Amino acid sequence: MGQIVGGIGVSHAPSLARAYDQDKRDDPEWRDIFESYKPAAAWLEALQPDALVMVYNDHVNQFFFDAYPTFALGVAEIFAQADEGWGKRALPDLRGDTRLGWHIARSLVADEFDPTICQEMVVDHGVYSILPFLMAPPWETPIVPLAVNVIQHPLPTARRCFDIGAAIGRSVASYDDARVVVMATGGMSHQLHGPDFGHVNPDWDNEFLDLLESDPAVLCELDHSEYMRRGGAESIEVIMWLAMRGALGSAVRNIHRAYFAPMLTGYGLVCFEPG
Amino acid sequence: MTAITMGDDPGGQMVDMTVFTGERSMAGYRLNKLSASLIDPDNRAEFLVDEHAYCRRFELTAEETKLVIDRDWTGMVAAGGNVYVFLKIAATVGSNLLEVGAEMRGETLDQFMATRPPQAGSG
Repeated sequence: MGQIVGGIGVSHAPSLARAYDQDKRDDPEWRDIFESYKPAAAWLEALQPDALVMVYNDHVNQFFFDAYPTFALGVAEIFAQADEGWGKRALPDLRGDTRLGWHIARSLVADEFDPTICQEMVVDHGVYSILPFLMAPPWETPIVPLAVNVIQHPLPTARRCFDIGAAIGRSVASYDDARVVVMATGGMSHQLHGPDFGHVNPDWDNEFLDLLESDPAVLCELDHSEYMRRGGAESIEVIMWLAMRGALGSAVRNIHRAYFAPMLTGYGLVCFEPG
Repeated sequence: MTAITMGDDPGGQMVDMTVFTGERSMAGYRLNKLSASLIDPDNRAEFLVDEHAYCRRFELTAEETKLVIDRDWTGMVAAGGNVYVFLKIAATVGSNLLEVGAEMRGETLDQFMATRPPQAGSG
């Protein structure tokens, strides 16, 4: 039987992509942030996962509002990098795991979750901005991406995100012998529009990280409005982290945690193992 | 159940936000469709050659066209534009999120940067 061997919650942000591409590792403003990813990368490498389930959101690069799926599962051999308007970065495409992907598709639908299944899907900074920090390219480990609508309301509830993660956990358990890591990305507090552009709330972000580990049921009960008034409208992305937490089961062990809020977005990172 | 504290402080900061609802998405549909088309480099080139013609191609109203020509990001939010989408206009014309954000706050970029922590990075 398959096993969820680890979970990662991490912020994505275009600024991280720029810092990576400009190799800011020795820049005093970025050094500690770059360093904070290293224990996670080493842990992930040691786990030797056979596949990554990647819960993230598309920023209107794959999907447009003509048909915007609430949940979209990617089942393809290759996931190309999206051009978001600035041109593509010098990074390879991502490999897909179609066998695991179709298995998850079948078990999610049997479990009464109904994602859109995508056989072609470009992946944007929701994955590409952070993955190079956690896994050195070229990426051999195949992925199964799950894109979540956290942009055009109505959005799935926090509870729904947790529950679909739990369903992914059951799906992996009913798969053959494979080691799977579930990674969820999404900025923590941030607001990117209007007069409060730049709002961040480190106290709330850290409280979220505490609760994610110890009492995610509390986070599942919060309305979107409660998330947004604490962290800003765009911070609602953080509900995707609950999918990772749901996949891991009732108790987790914290392996690594980091948090920075240097500019526009709370950069959080947690690495959990089940149990 | 653990009690949640942060943000429950009645003296806490209220964040001014425009939630991107279905109704706003409908209102901003043409503007967002134009913006989203700019993920294609050929479309970016066409936009840069003649912005007015490009706005006509997407059937923007005169008001919407003016928002694009003026890079009126605040006006775009009010018209149903989504920040993730109209950022592609900013990308096409060589701007970036920090400049867009400063404009929405009614500040210059330098004024905005002065509000960030002293160790702040480039974005």
